Amino acid sequence: MKTKLLILLIALPLFVFAQNKVGKLHQTQALNCKTCHSCDIPTKENPCIKPCPRERLITIEQTPADAPAVFTIDKMKKTSDIYAPVVFSHRLHAEMADMGGGCRMCHHYNPPGEVVGCADCHELTRKRTDLSKPDLKGAYHQQCMNCHRQWSGKVECESCHAQNGSAKKTESKPKTDLAAKKVHQKINPPAIVKYDTPKANGKIVSFNHTDHVSTFSIDCEKCHSNESCNKCHAKYKPASLANRSVADKHVVCANCHNTKANCSDCHKNSAVGSFNHKARTGFDIAKNHAKLACNRCHVEKGKFAGLKSDCSICHGTWTKDNFKHVSTGLQLDEVHADFECSDCHQEKNYAIPTCKNCHEDKTYPKDKPGKMVKKSK
Amino acid sequence: MAKQSRRDFLKTYAIIGSAAAGLSSSTKAAPKNFLSEDRMAVLVDTTVCIGCRKCEWACKTAHNLATDPIETYEDRSVFKEQRRPTDKALTVVNEYPNTTSDKFPINVKVQCMHCDKPACVSACIVGAFTKNENGSVIWDGDKCIGCRYCMVACPFQIPAFEFEKALKPDIKKCDFCIERTSKDKLPACIEMCPVEAIIYGRREDLLKVAKDRIKNYPHRYVNRIFGEHEVGGTSWLYLSSRQFEEIAFPKLGNDPAPGVSEAIQHGIFAYFVPPVALYALLGGVMWLNKNKKNHESNTEN
Ligand code: SF4
Ligand code: SF4
Ligand code: SF4
Repeated sequence: MKTKLLILLIALPLFVFAQNKVGKLHQTQALNCKTCHSCDIPTKENPCIKPCPRERLITIEQTPADAPAVFTIDKMKKTSDIYAPVVFSHRLHAEMADMGGGCRMCHHYNPPGEVVGCADCHELTRKRTDLSKPDLKGAYHQQCMNCHRQWSGKVECESCHAQNGSAKKTESKPKTDLAAKKVHQKINPPAIVKYDTPKANGKIVSFNHTDHVSTFSIDCEKCHSNESCNKCHAKYKPASLANRSVADKHVVCANCHNTKANCSDCHKNSAVGSFNHKARTGFDIAKNHAKLACNRCHVEKGKFAGLKSDCSICHGTWTKDNFKHVSTGLQLDEVHADFECSDCHQEKNYAIPTCKNCHEDKTYPKDKPGKMVKKSK
Repeated sequence: MAKQSRRDFLKTYAIIGSAAAGLSSSTKAAPKNFLSEDRMAVLVDTTVCIGCRKCEWACKTAHNLATDPIETYEDRSVFKEQRRPTDKALTVVNEYPNTTSDKFPINVKVQCMHCDKPACVSACIVGAFTKNENGSVIWDGDKCIGCRYCMVACPFQIPAFEFEKALKPDIKKCDFCIERTSKDKLPACIEMCPVEAIIYGRREDLLKVAKDRIKNYPHRYVNRIFGEHEVGGTSWLYLSSRQFEEIAFPKLGNDPAPGVSEAIQHGIFAYFVPPVALYALLGGVMWLNKNKKNHESNTEN
C-alpha cells in the first residue's frame, strides 16, 4: 500500500506536468484528439496535425459589432481580371452568422488571438504544392457559394462582382456605404411550434420555443448550430421534416431528451401550453426558484427526474440563525423569531406552517406570526 | 483547296499503305506511352462545382475556338439538355438533380479523362495518339488518317470529329492544355475555375487529397474516387455525393477498355484480311462521304 502511494505521489506531478504541456485550452475544450491530429499518439516531433479541419475547434467569438463593417476583397486583384473586387458587407454577414454558429461559420480555424483571416492560411497562387486546401480565390468562392447557392440558387458572377469596364462599376462607392449600414431586421422567434406527427398515439408535439429559450436558458446555438441564413431564405430548402428519417427528425431534441424512450413526454394527443414545473412535477418553482437556471438544481446533465423536493437537499439544514425569514416575505415578530424552524414547519418542504403547537385557535395564513413585507432576495 | 487536301490525304494513305505490310504492334508501343510516377492529374470535386461553366469559356478561349461573351455563360437553361464534348467545345458541364441531399443540383464537368491505359491509343492504328509523360493523351493531326477508331474505342466517347473538313481529318478533344503546361502554366480551365472545384497536381498527391476529403467528410461523399481504378485509372479523378453511375458516368470495370475498334481490328487480322485492304475500304468510305458532302454543299448553294 505504501509503495503504491509513493508511486502515485511521484507520478501525479508528472501527470499534471504532461497535461499542462498539452496547453491549458486543450483541457477546457470538449475536443476529440482526432479532430486535429491524424495519428493516435501525437508527439512534439510528430504532432500530425491535420491541415485546417473544418470542425469546431477552439474558437474565439466576437460580436458582429466588433467586426469590421465592410471591406473590399482585393488581395487577389490582377489587371487582367474580368471582374472587379467584391465589396463585402462583413458586419451584415457576421450578424447572419450570429444566428447560427457565429464567427466560426466562416472563420473555421480560429484559435485564440487575432481572428484568423482567409488569407492567413489560403495561398494566393493556384499553382502551388500544398493542394490540401483551396487557394485564396477558391476558398473565398467556396465559402460564399456554400450559402449563396442554396439561398438564391444563383451563381452569377455579377450577383457579387461588377464586371470591369462595365457601367455598373461606378456603383461601388454607394454600395460600400449601403453595405456598411445594412443590418438584419429583428428576428421574431416563434412562441410555440405545433408539429403534427404521423404517430398514431400522441400525434401532436407542442414545441415551446419560448420555454426552451427563457425558462430552460438554452443557448440558440445549441439547437441552431451550423444553420445559415438559408434556414429561412433558401431556394433549396432543407428537406421538410416529413421526408426525414425518424432519427433525423429527433436529432436536435435528442441533444437533451431521450428520444428513444419517453415518447409520451412530448407526443400528446392535444396541444399543451408552457412548461409548468408544478403541474409536471408537483414542485412549485414559481414562488422562490423561478429565476434559477435549471442546472442550478438539476446538476447532472440531461437528468431531471428524481430530485427530491426536500429543501435540505440543496440548502443544507436551516436553523433560526442561518435562515433569514424575511426573504419569504414574512418578517417574524420578536416572539416568533426565537423559535426553531420545526416549531412551526413540520414538513420537510417548509410549506404551510402549523400554529397548533402553541395556539389552539389560530391558523395560517389567516393569522400571521409577524408582518408581510416586500419579498427580498 | 479540296484538291490539295485530297492529294495530301492520298499521299498519307499511300505511305501508310506501304508501311502497313510490315505493320506490327510496335506502332502502338511508342516509347512515349509509359506511365510516369510524376504524371499530372486533375481532381474534380463535383460537390464544390457550382456549374458556372467558366471552364468552358476558358477552354474555348485558350484553344481559339469560337465563343460567345463570358456573360452568356450565366445562362443555366443549357442544363436542360445533357451535352457531350464536341469539336467546338472540348469540355462541357452538365447538371443532375441532387437526391442525396435537398440542396443544390450536382454539376459535372466532362472532357477527355486522359486515361492511364488509353483505349484511343491502343485503338489507333497509325499511332496518332500518345500518352505523354505528364499524363496527357495527345492526338497528332499529322499521323491521323481519320478512321475514327478512337471515337468507337473511347469508353467515354470523347474524341469528336470535325465534320466540316472531311479530308483533313481533325479529331478534337481536351489536350490537357499541353501547350500551356509545357510553358509551366496551368490548364486554362483550372486557372479559371472560381471555386477551385478542379485541382491540378500530381496524380498521387491528388488521390491523397481526395481520400482525405472522403475520410474527413464521409457524409459529403460516396466512398469512391471515379478514375482511381476505372479502365485502369484515369488522369481526371472525380469526387461526388451521388453514385457516379447515377450522374451519367459510364459503368466501367477496372480493366483497361480494350476498345471496340481494336476488337474489330484484331478480328480483321484474325481472318487474314491484309491491312492494306482495310485501308482501301476506309479510303473508299471516305471518298463516298466526301462526295456526299460536296453534293450536299452544292445543293445548299
Ligand atoms: S477518355 Fe477516351 S480519348 Fe481520352 S484518353 Fe481515355 S480513351 Fe482516350
Ligand atoms: S485541360 Fe485544357 S483542353 Fe482540357 S478541358 Fe481544361 S482547358 Fe480544355
Ligand atoms: S469553372 Fe469550376 S465551378 Fe465553374 S463549372 Fe467549371 S468546374 Fe464547375
